[in-house]
Amino acid sequence: MRLFWLEIYKTFSRWRTYIGFGFIALVVLLTEVVMKLSAVEILNRMMRSTQKDFLIFGNVLNGWFVTAFIMNTLHIHIPFLIALVAGDIVSGEATSGTVRFLLIRPPSRVKIIAAKYVATLFYTTGLVIFLGLVCILPGLALFGSGDLIIHHFGRFGVVFIPEVEIPVRMLFAFMAAIWSMTAVASIAFLLSTLVENSIGPIIGTMAVVIVFLVIGNFPFDFFATLKPYLFTTYMVFWQRFLDDPIPWQEIVKSAAILGLHSLGLFFIAFGAYARKDIKS
Amino acid sequence: MKKILLCLLWVPFLFSPGLLQAQEEGARTLDALQKKYSGLKDYTVDVNVHFDVEGFKAPDMQAKLFCKPPDKMKIESKRIFFLPKEGGTFNPFMFNKEDFEVKLLERLTYEGRNVVKLKLTPKKRKLNAQDFILTVDTDRHLIREMNTSSFDGREVKALIEYGNFGDFDLPTRIELHLNVQFSESMEIRDFGPSAQPAKRVTGRVDITYSNYKVNVGLSDEIFKERDSSKLGGRP
Repeated sequence: MRLFWLEIYKTFSRWRTYIGFGFIALVVLLTEVVMKLSAVEILNRMMRSTQKDFLIFGNVLNGWFVTAFIMNTLHIHIPFLIALVAGDIVSGEATSGTVRFLLIRPPSRVKIIAAKYVATLFYTTGLVIFLGLVCILPGLALFGSGDLIIHHFGRFGVVFIPEVEIPVRMLFAFMAAIWSMTAVASIAFLLSTLVENSIGPIIGTMAVVIVFLVIGNFPFDFFATLKPYLFTTYMVFWQRFLDDPIPWQEIVKSAAILGLHSLGLFFIAFGAYARKDIKS
Repeated sequence: MKKILLCLLWVPFLFSPGLLQAQEEGARTLDALQKKYSGLKDYTVDVNVHFDVEGFKAPDMQAKLFCKPPDKMKIESKRIFFLPKEGGTFNPFMFNKEDFEVKLLERLTYEGRNVVKLKLTPKKRKLNAQDFILTVDTDRHLIREMNTSSFDGREVKALIEYGNFGDFDLPTRIELHLNVQFSESMEIRDFGPSAQPAKRVTGRVDITYSNYKVNVGLSDEIFKERDSSKLGGRP
């Protein structure tokens, strides 16, 4: 536990840890202000296909809608912010020259790597919770509350979620987002144990995420067959909590696949760290 | 040969009185419809909408509708409310004979009553212009069925049931059958994660009306309120 708090202290002593929080605060607040200023234009654009057949009344552009919109937009960018810290947490010791000092102390490598991994997950959780709070609180203050209309891009589909159900669904959605980001953090963490600089793991993680996302979205049959094997396919399972009915089976499957990825990546990272040669 | 040609030239003129008469009858039917509701100054009604449309997952929606013919409408709802654009509201003044070319298609009986089927083609062709086929009860001067089809393949059929409220026959239920072509806007299709080609969406929407209050003297002011952050619509 002491090791964990030490890792937390080290992580939050670095300025780069706050880049993610700063970026999220800036982008989310800017987005919300812009959405408030051009509410009608945004709504008309987003609901165009539905508006062709329906007259829509009521507060569609409410805080929950804005939160779902921002989450949909930012889920590509958050992995970079996570990699920024997770990619540095182990390799940073080598860069700063403290790795030998750390590994010759009494705590075992198992404890050290576990503490670093838990600290990575703590940061990941904190960042996603911060995203949630920055989206929801100013969102509700600026746009008010109301039922949530989810419009599926690319197909005719409207899901209507009553206001009373939204807080619980959002809680689950953010928990699922944390779970998804844990897989990303685990990739960055693994890469961080393999190299001795922080840039490689950060760029490497983003490269993996972007390549997988691109492959997963190519409209070719060959790539479609690969899609089930890409972890990025399951990363958006938080969206399923905003579906009706909630597809629990799909959620459990996605969560299990992502969990296995995280666990597997951690064990590989542990193996690599346990064999790390610090003498040369 | 010349005689035959001359005879053929006369044929349209022989039928034209019938055609004109049919057109006049169609126009008269529309006139009678409007005349029936000429005393309807305004009304309020509670609306319940039940959706059974493919891909549209929404619970029943309730709202209060304020209407002041010919063109003022307001919806008051504590929650989000969707109302089908075509056939979702009752406006007897929307079929103005000056705005349409009216063609009488046929006479028939509908639930034991005499009805006529009229085809209404808008005189001014707009981007979203569409033809209407109305089945009008000529005994009670009521629109019983309304079929619309637009150039982009949107088809809507409305079956209307009426009740009597304050000397007026007003709808108690409208059953809408939708068959619409759904295609996402270009900008979403280009950048959307899983864009799909256009497809047809079918479904049924049941709209029930209750608690009518007719000619209560609604002020024009209540139709002016509009919040810029909310979507709204016109009838």
